[in-house]
Amino acid sequence: MNMLGNILSYQHFPIYAIMALFLGSFLIAAFGEKRSVRNILALLSVTAALGFILALMKPVVFHGEIISYWMGAREPAGGYAIGIALEVDALSFFFALLVAVAVFVSGVYSIQYMNRDDNEKEYYTLYLLLCGGVMGMVLSGDLFNMFIMVEILTFAAVALTAFRNTVRGAVEAAFKYLVVGCMGSTCILVGTAILYAQTHTLNLAQLAQLAPGDVNTATRLAFALLFVGFGTKAFIVPFHPLAADAHGAAPASVSVIISGVLTKSGIYGIIRICYFLFQSMGLGAMQFLLVFIGSLSMFVCVTMALAQHDFKRLLAFHSISQIGYVLTAVGLCTALGVSAGLYHAINHTLFKGLLFLAAGAVLHETGTTDLNKLGGLAKKMPHTTALFMVGAFSISGVPPFNGFASKWMIYQASYQKAVESGNIGFLLVTIIALITSVLTLASFVKVSHSVFFGQLPPELANVKEVSWGMRSAMGIFALLCIITGLFPNLVTAYLTEPAAAAVFNVKNYIEAMGFDGSAAVQLEAGGFQHAGVWDPVSWLLVLCIALLAITIVAVAGKYGNVSRCRAPAVENKYQLFYGGEEQEFSQLGGEDLFWGFKHNWRGYFKFMHRLHSGVVNDYALWAVVDLALVTLFSLIVL
Amino acid sequence: MFKRLIAERTGKSPWLFHINAGSCNGCDIELVSVLTPRYDAERLGFKLAGSPRHADIVVVTGPVTKQSLPRVLRAISQVPEPRCIVTMGSCPQSGNVFRGSYSIAGPLSKYVPVDVDVAGCAPKPEAIIDGLTLAAKILKEKRGRMN
Amino acid sequence: MTIVIDALQYLGYVLIFPGFLFCFLAGMLLCGIDRKLVAKMQKRVGPPILQPFYDFFKLCGKETIIPAAAERNTFMLSPLVGLAALVVIQLFIPVFGFTAFSGIGDIIVILYLLLVPALAMILGGAASGSPYAGVGLSREMVTIISCELPLVLVLLAVAKTVGGAIGTGLCFSLSQIAEYQEVNGSLITKISMLPAAAAMLLLIPGETGSHPFDAAEAETEICEGLLAEYSGAPLGVFKLSHAVKMLSLTSLFVALFLGGLGTGILALDAVLLFLLCALITAASISFVHAFTARLKIEQIFKYYWTVVSLLAAVSLALAWYGL
Repeated sequence: MNMLGNILSYQHFPIYAIMALFLGSFLIAAFGEKRSVRNILALLSVTAALGFILALMKPVVFHGEIISYWMGAREPAGGYAIGIALEVDALSFFFALLVAVAVFVSGVYSIQYMNRDDNEKEYYTLYLLLCGGVMGMVLSGDLFNMFIMVEILTFAAVALTAFRNTVRGAVEAAFKYLVVGCMGSTCILVGTAILYAQTHTLNLAQLAQLAPGDVNTATRLAFALLFVGFGTKAFIVPFHPLAADAHGAAPASVSVIISGVLTKSGIYGIIRICYFLFQSMGLGAMQFLLVFIGSLSMFVCVTMALAQHDFKRLLAFHSISQIGYVLTAVGLCTALGVSAGLYHAINHTLFKGLLFLAAGAVLHETGTTDLNKLGGLAKKMPHTTALFMVGAFSISGVPPFNGFASKWMIYQASYQKAVESGNIGFLLVTIIALITSVLTLASFVKVSHSVFFGQLPPELANVKEVSWGMRSAMGIFALLCIITGLFPNLVTAYLTEPAAAAVFNVKNYIEAMGFDGSAAVQLEAGGFQHAGVWDPVSWLLVLCIALLAITIVAVAGKYGNVSRCRAPAVENKYQLFYGGEEQEFSQLGGEDLFWGFKHNWRGYFKFMHRLHSGVVNDYALWAVVDLALVTLFSLIVL
Repeated sequence: MFKRLIAERTGKSPWLFHINAGSCNGCDIELVSVLTPRYDAERLGFKLAGSPRHADIVVVTGPVTKQSLPRVLRAISQVPEPRCIVTMGSCPQSGNVFRGSYSIAGPLSKYVPVDVDVAGCAPKPEAIIDGLTLAAKILKEKRGRMN
Repeated sequence: MTIVIDALQYLGYVLIFPGFLFCFLAGMLLCGIDRKLVAKMQKRVGPPILQPFYDFFKLCGKETIIPAAAERNTFMLSPLVGLAALVVIQLFIPVFGFTAFSGIGDIIVILYLLLVPALAMILGGAASGSPYAGVGLSREMVTIISCELPLVLVLLAVAKTVGGAIGTGLCFSLSQIAEYQEVNGSLITKISMLPAAAAMLLLIPGETGSHPFDAAEAETEICEGLLAEYSGAPLGVFKLSHAVKMLSLTSLFVALFLGGLGTGILALDAVLLFLLCALITAASISFVHAFTARLKIEQIFKYYWTVVSLLAAVSLALAWYGL
């Protein structure tokens, strides 16, 4: 009895969550020949992972406990960590929860989404391997263990990118991802090795204790290597072209994981090294580095997205653009900023997951994601359209959806930072963030027009709505989008603020593992008060009352006095107006929309077009240049 | 109350949609002159609409050529009820000098009920305004009959 | 008991003043004044001031045709949502000392809410399936992008000026901005705010889609663009939205730059607000309308991102260095 109690103690839940996913993967590889067995195993393992993580909410968030777990009970000996550790503070828990939710929903979606593919067994094996890798990485308390997990997730992601190898460009995309991803992994490995040589430990808590007191040229180099390594995982500029290729080719359910979760693991890595291992040495310069790269990602990727005409590539660029928001806000290094950034991280996982699933639904039914070939699907797939619109409104920050709540906090954080520090650079960041937001809106107006509204191409006349399983997976995401948008106070109180507090409390993190944290640099979190107000529930109430009043007046005023075509043959009266000509199919291609904007920026777009050559050698060169620049920056400025 | 408001106001804001059915452009120019400062039909609420969906009064100029006939009929059918059809100039009424030509399908009244004819080649702006106000009155009556 | 009274009071705000009824009457009157003024400037007699009301009621009495290619629900619902969003904006904008709902939204919320009516129109137009609406949608969106940069700069400049003066560093709350002006006089009296006010005046026609920035609804070339397939009551609601948007933007201008002129008596304030709005409409919409020709869409973009943005940026820079 005692033993059972011991096994079910929440101390073990982190490792159970990781094991559930890996075990599922191995079991499917061994016994997953039959579809029913495979589906049940996959569902069981993602549900178990979600359950274990949710069960951690009580001790970690409500009691503020930091779970430290030594694998095989190998406690540190002689003041040095020998065993492998898992350490779950509120920050790790926060990312683990994101992973668990996204993995669960995407797993539910996969079951019907992948039913037309061969090799489903391999798909689920790799899928769970990828999920387990990410989960392991965010829960790990050991730098080398993080590297192992990064390797696992990178290779699983590469294999899944090339999973539909009959799709044009899939193998090429996987190859690019493999090359640059491996460069990133190597950077992490070398960085880890240098740190190990300097401090003789791999445990994160102990590194956090030792590294800041020992900043020298070698550790600075290690920082640059780790930063660039995790940067490739987050696909921040200059690694964004890889994301576009990978998402364009990968199945939608995998895109959800790559965009919603894998990029977050990169952000998680960057937060860990910047705020924990190096405790933001040279704070101003570190802020500059994070905010600069974040803003650059934000802006470059949103403009790149405007030039796309493939649904999933467009989403991929937006994904990096939103990651830019997260990185910028986190880099502000204030309590409000970090909290806002993490909030946006949740929202990004939810709405981008929803959008990718919607793109997958379109692909599943029509066989294409080319914006120039689609149109008018709202009449054929009304539910998918409604769910997509929720995602589109969320990402473009239309109140009261969740994207607005977090962006609102980000603007406040950056503007407050600008006012407090007197640095006009942060003001520029606020402006860039606001402009990026409206460009995002433009981009999703384009998608909604060229995929769901407008005219239905004749060859798509027989398209049907997707199955209930896929719709309900999208529904979960949409519901979460609305909930996190309507109750920002709950989200910040129970998820992001504990996580942000963890970022500013390195001492606890070190001491929870039994090391001496007294030397840890306490970052100044700074209290904050919102400079404005945003109360979504009241707002929605007011909007509903206004809408209701208008609707009543409208109904009284015969708003419903409509005549519409009931016969299958379209009479003249119900045809579209074509200057008197007979109605014919003519849809403005997604590529050509907003040329009034692009025309003025033609120089910029030409330049970008030349830069994004699509040649893997170029992208590898970018990685090297990026590494060189960050190294120089960290050696000289930081 | 609402119904009366609507019925009363219908005649006060007639929006025009202009169809050129093979006209020589004389009438078209005259129609535009009606909206200029000198005659200013906007004081009576007249306005040129860009799309037949917005229009109340369809103004047809030209002798209705065979090529234009289906297009004219389609555009007219796309105007929501209540609507008035005004022929402007002598061409859509009689064919004028083009009468008997192999390419003429007119007069327009063979195909759709015409409410007001404004004769002349081209009609004077005063006559046009007079015809349009008459059309606006008919429009109001039609609206009254709809309830 | 007090809850019931409170609820009734707030319902009154939403439905009567500064909500639905006020928006309807004042917006339509503004629109009528604008049309009359333009006519006068062009030496015409012009329509009666009540002409927008006539147009609206006439449209309500017309048949509404839904094209076979349209997506019905979006097509019919989006006008209503757009109008509701505009009414809500009006509730957040202070009428001098009085704000109907001060604890709900701030400047950033207004900035985003101003997108919603345009978005409703875009979605409605897109749902109609008309190719003209496709072109109109593209132009409307580019117009929005054009106006966004200067508007952001203007709002940040105001937030900095007021925030710096009241000591919180920045101030996004509109009711606080109104309070500050009650005490210290209108913001327009500050030199640093003059360029911002000028930029805002230039922004109003762009945001409302008035001449010469109405490329999105050019009736002579793309058949009114997004509205090409709308008829009857939904079209009337869109026309009403256009009128209410004029009111929202002009009263936002009053709230940002001309605050502190209020008398403290709500009824008088409402009249004063309307008069000021009419004045601003005359200056920024009618006057420009009367003597300009329609700009091409790329020219609109260029104009807003260079001339107007520069004005607003000058203001922001002045505010930044505390002038």
